[in-house]
Amino acid sequence: MTLRGLLWAAALLAIWEAGARAVPGSVLFAGPTDIAAHLAENAGLYLRASVETTRNALWGFVWGNLAAAVLATVMITVPRSERLLGALALLVFCIPLIASGPILRVLYGPGTGPQVMLGALAVYYTTLLALLVGLRAVSQTWTDIMALYGRGRLSTLWYVRARASVPYLFVGLQISAPAAFLGAMVGEFTGAERGLGVLTLRAMRGLDTDATWTLAVLSAGIAMAGYGLLGALARRLAGHAPVILLSAPAGQGRQAWWGPVLGLGSVTLVVLALWQGGMEAFDLNRFFAKRPGDVLAFLGQPDARATLLAALAETLAHALPGYLAGLGLGAALAAGLVLSPGLAQVTLPAAIALRAVPIITTAPLLVLAFGRGVIGTTVVVAVMIFFPTLVACGQGLRQTPGQVVDVFRSYGAGRWRILRGAQLPAMWPAFFASARMAIPAALLAVTTVEWLATGKGIGVLMATTASTSNYNMLWSCVVVLAVVASAAYAAVAAVERAVLRVYASEQVT
Amino acid sequence: MQGPEIRCDALGKSFGDVAAVDPFDVSFAAGQTTALVGPSGCGKSTVLRMVAGLEAPSGGAVHLGAETPAQAAARGALAMAFQDPSLLPWRTVRANIALGAELARKPAGQVDHLIDLVGLAGFGDHRPAELSGGMRQRTAIARSLISEPEVLLLDEPFGAVDAMTRRRLNFELPPLWRDRGATVLLVTHSVEEAVQLSDRVLVLSPRPARVVADIAVDLDRADTDSAAFRALCQEVYAALEGTT
Repeated sequence: MTLRGLLWAAALLAIWEAGARAVPGSVLFAGPTDIAAHLAENAGLYLRASVETTRNALWGFVWGNLAAAVLATVMITVPRSERLLGALALLVFCIPLIASGPILRVLYGPGTGPQVMLGALAVYYTTLLALLVGLRAVSQTWTDIMALYGRGRLSTLWYVRARASVPYLFVGLQISAPAAFLGAMVGEFTGAERGLGVLTLRAMRGLDTDATWTLAVLSAGIAMAGYGLLGALARRLAGHAPVILLSAPAGQGRQAWWGPVLGLGSVTLVVLALWQGGMEAFDLNRFFAKRPGDVLAFLGQPDARATLLAALAETLAHALPGYLAGLGLGAALAAGLVLSPGLAQVTLPAAIALRAVPIITTAPLLVLAFGRGVIGTTVVVAVMIFFPTLVACGQGLRQTPGQVVDVFRSYGAGRWRILRGAQLPAMWPAFFASARMAIPAALLAVTTVEWLATGKGIGVLMATTASTSNYNMLWSCVVVLAVVASAAYAAVAAVERAVLRVYASEQVT
Repeated sequence: MQGPEIRCDALGKSFGDVAAVDPFDVSFAAGQTTALVGPSGCGKSTVLRMVAGLEAPSGGAVHLGAETPAQAAARGALAMAFQDPSLLPWRTVRANIALGAELARKPAGQVDHLIDLVGLAGFGDHRPAELSGGMRQRTAIARSLISEPEVLLLDEPFGAVDAMTRRRLNFELPPLWRDRGATVLLVTHSVEEAVQLSDRVLVLSPRPARVVADIAVDLDRADTDSAAFRALCQEVYAALEGTT
């Protein structure tokens, strides 16, 4: 860190402390000295919890990234499998962690299984997308050269793709570090014995401001340390990091209307078969391991359906404003920063660092500050989406070819003209990639806040049904959330294709 | 070792409704070097790619002696240098050249000799990012030679090489493949280069490609200032002009 960075950090700490002292006895703020004192008093407790959560996150990180590597290798070497595997991976990614948490808890029983599994679920999809981009970043000539020497896909994978994808892998791993931590904490929210997530729940319920702040700072710190560590490792081992727009995996070219319908049908069939078959194969107890037929029958009851849909409507009413606000503000600020490059130099590094903070871990603070109502929920969702969008759009804007900008300049075009004519079009791919990836993030944020704080919506419905053993409702909630997330993802992807066909046809394969 | 005769039987290619190469019959004698010249986009590279087995013909077939291109490729008997050098950025010049032998499952004994020959002495341990465009292309040419291919396909390999080096390579490389008896097809935009390097020049028409002139070259290659050399170049130019 530079001297200037240290000075900034010191100044921010001072302002924070002054703010906390200005409202003594506040239930909102804890200053750095409060946190330090609280931490010192309970050092043993926090150390044990940190070790526990970090260990779970680490295993989740390992398993999730391993799964991503295997999936990506199969998808690249067996192109036929790509569509189906891509769709399945996306579908699983679309199930909010807070929804899979209780189910995993039920299936695993006590222990660290759910935390580790949620950590893995939180990381595998971003690494998979990053790896696919890397493995595909190989020119046609290379497949030609391999064919010329009578070599096939495995040789291309071995000689070219594997090594070419290393920098991309590191980008994926870096994003994974805080995500795995987030997953592990959500796992702990859903009924673990130990860990920072358990302490967070306890602090929130006891309205313990010092503890809530301490936990938020501690978990954000650990997650950011992981992010920084992997970033440093990547720079040492892989050289400069490539800019990755997390584009949709399967290239959807021109196709007949029945193509997507057929694809959707086959994916649904495979999912149902895996679901039913997996449960039968492991002989899981019908009492808590509900089959597709059970869910269908349950959703057939008007009362149950009404309860579920009412909760869903409430959840979406909170998620949508937050989603739109986070996306809009992120993109707008990114565009604004282009107009004032000086400000961007200060803001972007801060935004990149803040993107690494698993927002869920700080959600309790936001709820403390903005209340347990609509505004608090919306703010958490918006903040969760804001930073990744800002960073991605900023990177997209910087991708504008310099020569195109030079052409505009040579005609004496002003900043606004260049922004509208050259830079915004270059930003659209990044914007839409963010908009797609933000959908599961928004659902995760809203259901987590409902679970932790507001006591409304589908997040709470899942929490209560998990404790009252109404497993039909729990499974139905998960199914409905997965369907909603997938549908929203598909809708954004459709808009994306329409827009990019005009602005960035090279991105639409 | 002697390169095979390359035979194209009614070989044609169309992309959708667009004919790229009109079906044609031609054979390239074993151990000979043939240059393909013609206007840009006429389908020269497509012919080369079909001979290499990289592009499936829409009609007809290619025979390399008694083999198909795929069979020859599987033996490591083919090599090609592309317009785009396509080096692996994480490998050194030496390792990039050796890759040609690795992929063909042959010994990479003469890497250093080839490095000297293409004028990269002292750059063996450099990575592609540290080289100029011409040096990268020379690395790619060396990669195509290291496996001692029986059939060598050169698609504009000297495009980015500077004029001085190009002139030197034009003198020094052909003996290398000629001594080994390789059958060579060379696509080039330079009429002088075509005449200097090859035993035969085929002039192709604009798309869809047809052979409009088939000119045998029987010259003292060292003497590019002779009247006979200039006369042959003129003949090729005339055939080219006739195509437009």
